[in-house]
Amino acid sequence: MNGDGRTAQGADGTPVSPAPTGAAEGRSAVITAVSDDSRIAVEVRGLVERGAMDAARDRFAELVGIHQRRASRIAYQYLRDVAEADEAVQDAFVKVFSRITSYREAWPFEVWFTRILINGCLDRRKARTRRDRWSVGGGISAANEARASMARPEGDPERQALARERRARLAAAIDRLDGRQRTVFMLCHFGDCTPREVSAMTGLNESTVRVHLFRAARKLRALLGGKL
Amino acid sequence: MRRALHLQDDRLFDCYLAQRQGEAADPPTAEHLADCDSCAARYAELALFMDGVRAEGDAEADAAFTPERLRAQQQQIARRMEAVGRPARVLSFPGRVVQGTIRASTLRSPRWTAAAAAAGLFLGIALGATYEWDSHPRPSAPAISARAAVPNPDVAADADFMSELELALDRPHTRELAAFDAFTPHFREIRDSR
Repeated sequence: MNGDGRTAQGADGTPVSPAPTGAAEGRSAVITAVSDDSRIAVEVRGLVERGAMDAARDRFAELVGIHQRRASRIAYQYLRDVAEADEAVQDAFVKVFSRITSYREAWPFEVWFTRILINGCLDRRKARTRRDRWSVGGGISAANEARASMARPEGDPERQALARERRARLAAAIDRLDGRQRTVFMLCHFGDCTPREVSAMTGLNESTVRVHLFRAARKLRALLGGKL
Repeated sequence: MRRALHLQDDRLFDCYLAQRQGEAADPPTAEHLADCDSCAARYAELALFMDGVRAEGDAEADAAFTPERLRAQQQQIARRMEAVGRPARVLSFPGRVVQGTIRASTLRSPRWTAAAAAAGLFLGIALGATYEWDSHPRPSAPAISARAAVPNPDVAADADFMSELELALDRPHTRELAAFDAFTPHFREIRDSR
């Protein structure tokens, strides 16, 4: 199923069972990257242990290239602030590099890295909540939303305005999710993670992750009136 | 044959997740979706909504993180990684400046400065002693003897007080101490003998 309104029916009107689509193909590409990144992480660890820091930095830059966009998406959805999300991503990569010697192959690198990134984002959210408590206008401030809306789609002004409004409604709805539901939902839908991976990242049972995902989706549909 | 009840929302959602991951859906669910138009429509609606949410979020994030921004981020990460594994840099500002100042002052002050300071001190002490000697002449011996001859009024008052005390007590009231009293010279007797 893709975003062009395709239904579960074939061209001849016969209902079809769900089949791998564009999203799934993207997922399989990510799976390939996961194995690659874990291998690179092991190499970087070896280089650091041997003291070849320059070579380790060069190799680690490949890891940054693989995960940078995905990490930025996750951080942005968490923080709704470009500058802060940028900093959170940088912090996560630097932290991972400085602790690469503690990386173990038992965990896919993606899981390890994402966990560190999420913890950083959660810390920043907490800090912002504390900060906003003492300043005028709490929660996700209007300024942040204004910054978020700077990311405008190209096209005519009416489309831009509609897209801005849609994104603002979506962001507000996601922000109203329970903390755990929000984490699970973001990791799965914006971070391209499977429920199993989310389970490894969050420490929750896989079935619990599925329940949270379902409840988050149901709540979002209710908040947004079933459509975007 | 009667068809099974409609699928619950959670089953539809599981089916959506499986489809997204490229996995096969649960066979009974897939069968039901193939048979039931109503459930297929619900599934399509759910999938459309979830795909829309995802696409909207990704588009927003991608618009915020432009390729230029991602490149700048990479450079910033590389710059910060340069500092990892290197010992902390010690700021040299205060130490070096103070040390340099001390060294400079040591080199500039010659030895004769210390000798001149010592000579000045010696001269000062000597002159001071001379001045003290001249301004306060020592009293002569006759003056001292004359001063000793004059009874000090304070001493006289004390003597009178002691005499009055002795008179008041007169004699010890304890008989055993009378012998000691007889041998002890009285202040009054000493004074009268002068």
